[in-house]
Amino acid sequence: MTKSFHKPQSAALAFMVAGAVWFVVGAVYGMFSAIHLVAPEFLPHVAPLVFGRERPVHVNTMLYGFTGTMLVGVGLYYLPALLKTRLWSEPLAWIAFAFWNLTVLSGPLGFAFGYTQGREYNEYVWLADVSLVIAVACLIVNTALTIVNRREPQLYVSIWYFMATFLWTASNYPLGNVMWHPATGAMPGLIDSLFLWFWGHNLPGLLITPLATGAAYFVIPRVTRTPLNSHTLSLLGFWFLIALYSHIGGHHVLQSPIPNWLKTVSVVDSVSMVLPVSIVVINLWLTARGFGGRVWNDPPARLVMGGVVWYIITCIQGPLQSLPFLQRVTHFNNWTIGHAHIAMLGFGGYIALGAMWHVLPLVSRRPVYSNKLINLQFGLITFGLTGFFVVLTMAGLVQGSAWHNGETVLRVLPQLSPFMVMRAALGIFILTGSLVGLANLYLTLRPARAEEPLLRGEEAA
Amino acid sequence: MKMTPAFLIVGALLVFWASTFIIVGLPSMTMKDTPSDIWRPLSPLEREGHRLYVKNGCSYCHSLFIRVSDWDVGAERIARAGDYAGIEPAILGSERTGPDLSQEGGEHSDDWNMAHFTNPRYTTPVSVMPAWDFLTRHEITALAAYVQSLGGKDADVRQKRQREWKRQAQAAYAGGVDRNIEWLHAQVPEVWRRMPNPYPATQAALQRGKRIYQQLCINCHSPIGDGNGPAQPFLGPPPLNFTILRRHLVENRYIGGIFYYQIMNGITGTAMPYFKKHLESEKIWDLANYLAVSFLGYTDANTEPRGIDASYEGNWQNPYPPPAVNQAP
Repeated sequence: MTKSFHKPQSAALAFMVAGAVWFVVGAVYGMFSAIHLVAPEFLPHVAPLVFGRERPVHVNTMLYGFTGTMLVGVGLYYLPALLKTRLWSEPLAWIAFAFWNLTVLSGPLGFAFGYTQGREYNEYVWLADVSLVIAVACLIVNTALTIVNRREPQLYVSIWYFMATFLWTASNYPLGNVMWHPATGAMPGLIDSLFLWFWGHNLPGLLITPLATGAAYFVIPRVTRTPLNSHTLSLLGFWFLIALYSHIGGHHVLQSPIPNWLKTVSVVDSVSMVLPVSIVVINLWLTARGFGGRVWNDPPARLVMGGVVWYIITCIQGPLQSLPFLQRVTHFNNWTIGHAHIAMLGFGGYIALGAMWHVLPLVSRRPVYSNKLINLQFGLITFGLTGFFVVLTMAGLVQGSAWHNGETVLRVLPQLSPFMVMRAALGIFILTGSLVGLANLYLTLRPARAEEPLLRGEEAA
Repeated sequence: MKMTPAFLIVGALLVFWASTFIIVGLPSMTMKDTPSDIWRPLSPLEREGHRLYVKNGCSYCHSLFIRVSDWDVGAERIARAGDYAGIEPAILGSERTGPDLSQEGGEHSDDWNMAHFTNPRYTTPVSVMPAWDFLTRHEITALAAYVQSLGGKDADVRQKRQREWKRQAQAAYAGGVDRNIEWLHAQVPEVWRRMPNPYPATQAALQRGKRIYQQLCINCHSPIGDGNGPAQPFLGPPPLNFTILRRHLVENRYIGGIFYYQIMNGITGTAMPYFKKHLESEKIWDLANYLAVSFLGYTDANTEPRGIDASYEGNWQNPYPPPAVNQAP
């Protein structure tokens, strides 16, 4: 048993498998939430499955559980690979794995029974916060010492992002979660919304984005077999990201009575986010230029490039959304939900899945069971998510325009039901995509069975 | 520029903290948590309700701040920083699947809230809110108390009004069915009482009225208008039985204006909310015609005084004769 904790890359594989499992769990909770928005009396009187409790399970399991966990797993592979060394300590990575997943597990086990701090994206209770910080601390030590013990003098851009992710998260997470107030995890009064959205936006921006960017920077050049387009662009993208991103959380409470200078800072920096995003996307795009066929014909890389496309869509929409004029219509409604899904499942999720399929054969030393199933997953999720995004954006425009024109929330509610029905239907595709992925992963990793040739023989007979 | 490990680690942290100082440090040093004019402390029961609000994720569908651009229920007061003083956490919310609740205190009566938490569709047929009947009665009471405190001192003014009128409404109801209606009619301003519905009760108008009735009214007043909808057991006084109104027409003729006024304004103190934010004139007149025709078998639509007919009106003749006088009660 202890031997398996020392096996090279075993922790990376564990993170990736856990990510695939959490994807299914998160999608199931998403499905329940979607059904409840169509039929609120579906499975009534089941306390753990009321919307207010299942929604945070869905959101947190997808963020930390699926996207976060899977991308950490991918990183734990490419970190030593790019540095031409071994991970400094495999058991330490396993400890990080245990604490990280304990935190994620506290979602379905805790929120469903009312153990939550209730602040969006900061719901985990204090003990789960501690567990996550321990996991991140282990990853910092492990990553830093792996870098120290490297045999490759140059640090590739993916390494920067992977290292920085944990440094930032270790600083970000305790601050946004107000961990010095263990009981509530909140500051008293209005200022709490600034702490809340500080982490609320840094979670996608300074945890998921750098992990996903690092993974994309790893996969794309490997598949196209071309050198990275520009070191300078990599540098610019990296430093712009950190200089701007932490400022933009305020755009979530732009219409609330927070100080005006904060609103200005968050709008200006939100719009400026176009810079680091375009830089990263252009850099990856130019790296693959002329070799698009290689990307498209490689199922994992297709997912990664799909994620890059979602990234640019998300990050054009995001800055626009921060503009006060547009927010009058887009805030508080399903428009935002659409945006959140293309960010987390589109950008983060596609790259996590693609990078996972790319890395899986390298870690397990077996070919992926079926490339067709990867393509099927790509197709299912792409259909589901694209439809989802369109439907929710339309629903949001209906809501926002009606409200702005003086209609009440109550009166617009019945208008949403066709959109909510379509959204739930499209959710089935995403849920199926997650199941296909888990099945493919299982079929790749399952121990070879002795009786298999016999079965084949019988079939032939 | 070469990224060395030291440059990477120190640089990433330095830029992060410099950036963070601006967005978290400066506000922490400058923002003051001073109570606003409407702020008041929460009672222990309301604080318990606040915990339940946080624990059960109410904030995923309800926001807690009114914006400059809002029209909805509660939009009489734009949120101010001091409204949230000392609340931990004050979750502003990011989504309005349901209405904003920052000024909800006293908007509805206490019994309306109890029925609503037990099953939101009892009071609001189109609601997609979950039923909270798995909570204990005490917990629902606490949650309702918290919601009734939202709006602080302004909510207290509204709550006081609710409770004063509740006392009178209950006394009137205790006086018997007919006395109750006489009391209700007496609360409607004189000008509305002798006002017929100015618009024809055409088939189309009745259809529109029916749709409104089914979306907003049916689970209190019931499909047959007798006031025995599923919310009824929670409410005191119970929802009105419309059919009795047939023997309480003003001067044996008028009812349209009373319907209009009561739908628009609600009956504060009872569970009947005001609908002026949800419905505008066309919908209220259509609904009034639907109630009259369906449950009274009579409408005063288009009877005198009718003024100049609106240009869209056709040649509609009111086919409903007023009820015979001295109908047996």
